[in-house]
Amino acid sequence: MEPAPALQADHITKYFYDPVKFQVLSDIGFTILKGEFVSITGKSGSGKSSLLYVLSTMDTDYEGMLMLDGEVVTGKKQDQLAMFRNNKLGFVFQFHYLLPDFTNLKNVMIPALRLKKYDYREVEHRAYEKLGMLGVQELALKLASRISGGEQQRVAIARALINDPVIIMGDEPTGNLDSKNAANVFDIFRTLSREFGQTIITVTHDNDFARKSDRILEMVDGKLIY
Amino acid sequence: MALTRQIKSSSPDMPRLGINIEIAFTFLSSRRRQTAVAAMGVTFGMSMFIFINSLITGTNEYFEKATLSTIPHIRLYQDNLMCTPDMLNRYLGTGRINLISNPELTISDNRIYNPGSIVQLVRQYKQTEAVSMQVSANVIYANGNVQQNGNVFGVNILEQDKMFDISSTMLAGSVNDLNQTLDGILIGSGLSRNLNLKNGDRILLTSSNGSSKSLKVVGIFQTTIKSIDNSKTYVNVPQVQQLLKKDRSYITDIYVNIRDHNKSAPVAHELEKLTGYNAEAWQVANQQSLAARRIRDIIANSMVLVILLVAGFGIYNILNMVIYEKIKEIAILKANGFAGRHVVSIFLWQAFIIGLAGSIIGEVFGWIISLAVSKIYIGVGNVTYLPMTYYFRHYLQALAFGLITSALAGYIPAIKASKVDPVKIIRG
Repeated sequence: MEPAPALQADHITKYFYDPVKFQVLSDIGFTILKGEFVSITGKSGSGKSSLLYVLSTMDTDYEGMLMLDGEVVTGKKQDQLAMFRNNKLGFVFQFHYLLPDFTNLKNVMIPALRLKKYDYREVEHRAYEKLGMLGVQELALKLASRISGGEQQRVAIARALINDPVIIMGDEPTGNLDSKNAANVFDIFRTLSREFGQTIITVTHDNDFARKSDRILEMVDGKLIY
Repeated sequence: MALTRQIKSSSPDMPRLGINIEIAFTFLSSRRRQTAVAAMGVTFGMSMFIFINSLITGTNEYFEKATLSTIPHIRLYQDNLMCTPDMLNRYLGTGRINLISNPELTISDNRIYNPGSIVQLVRQYKQTEAVSMQVSANVIYANGNVQQNGNVFGVNILEQDKMFDISSTMLAGSVNDLNQTLDGILIGSGLSRNLNLKNGDRILLTSSNGSSKSLKVVGIFQTTIKSIDNSKTYVNVPQVQQLLKKDRSYITDIYVNIRDHNKSAPVAHELEKLTGYNAEAWQVANQQSLAARRIRDIIANSMVLVILLVAGFGIYNILNMVIYEKIKEIAILKANGFAGRHVVSIFLWQAFIIGLAGSIIGEVFGWIISLAVSKIYIGVGNVTYLPMTYYFRHYLQALAFGLITSALAGYIPAIKASKVDPVKIIRG
């Protein structure tokens, strides 16, 4: 059976207006299937990050149509999009963006506590599970600001996974890590995709990382080249 | 602080406060000093609110009590009437239209007719607490060659005592002595000094129509209101009637005290309709004291308003600082699915926590300040210590104002925080 599409983009076009009008994405269309591990590459300024933020639903200032998990998200209200992200998407950024005053465990729990699908104990249990999966379970009760960069990125991935998202999006997830930790993060993504059927879309300029993923979408001047 | 530790250890028994409150709390506890300063602003505002309101209310009550110790809640009397066609109709009949081209005041001795039945009528009224008939006259007091002007009040002294608690102001003798001595008189301390009169001495009263009476001093009172102590005297009703050369039913005023003196105005209006005589409420007779009260209230309210405004700015300030510092965390929360209203809620909770903490401490401080200031000795006139009140409603109002101020001060930063664009912040 052909897997269902996780993401469908149709004629996505976006302009920047500041300082002058500039087309950053032009007529982009592609489909990503569930379970795929896709890298978006390109030189800086090619529009790859802009594309990711459109796909993330956080940037709504674009033309065209975006469908995630079979649902058209284009035109939804901000609060609906927030709920959608909470439920279906997970994010890993170049910087971990953990809340430094919370424990790692709580950081992982926060999106799930917002979703309110499970009660507190269940959420805590699942958070431990995710941290365990990423090998940082013993750091659960430390403050997020008191662990190393590589560990922080793993906690951030655990946070992205907590609500069992349909898609995990990464913006240079290894950009700030040394090669050992970068390889580590790649292995985690690889495992998530292969063994858990997780869809992963990452923007990267790490060619090694891109080459090892299932598919590469390369961008040049706001267009996709195949 | 115990709560933070609980949240951090994430014990399973932690109260489920909701994630918004938890985040609000953590944001604040990471900025403890500024939070404390903002809460202190509220504390200061609250304690001043309580202190000022307690003092102003105490002052108002004090002056009200002082006023009501000399005048009744309601006074019934007969004013001079202007001639009206109705009066003419009664005399000429209504067979034709009677007009008065140049009306004048009717001649009257301002008496209340059949005062006994009026008193009965008033006594039956549900609000009435005490009623007292009286007749007063302007007289000249004399002892030997020394003379002084004043007003003599013919009263049933026991009834008046019930109204004004004259007993508590007696320096010598008692109100009972007047009741038992038909030709007795109670004089003020000022009059006693000016005319060199002691208990048992005789005093000569001369009225404007020339008749005079010699009465025996049976008591001396001191109200501490100088004008009263210098001129007012109490005698039995027949003495004044005789001085004025009037009959035994000549009564000019009926004093009425009611249960709730704040309702004097409407009750006076009803008594006016009930009896047909003029009824004057004490507030009307003492408008200057009402004006003074209004001014005190305005001063107190404007001070409190300024203090609350400053406290509000304190909260506004720290929350703006929190936004500035936590903007990345707000962005990431939004990326992870926190909607605008959740961010608003996080910031309103912060304002609420600061407001609540500040208010609760402020309530205690307000009470302590009130207590401390009420011990300051003033000693001017008959004010010994500052009149302070301790009303639960002031503490309740303070809490409400504190929380409302906090919420308003938190609202603008909250809206600002909810508008943070995660794309701009995360992309840098």
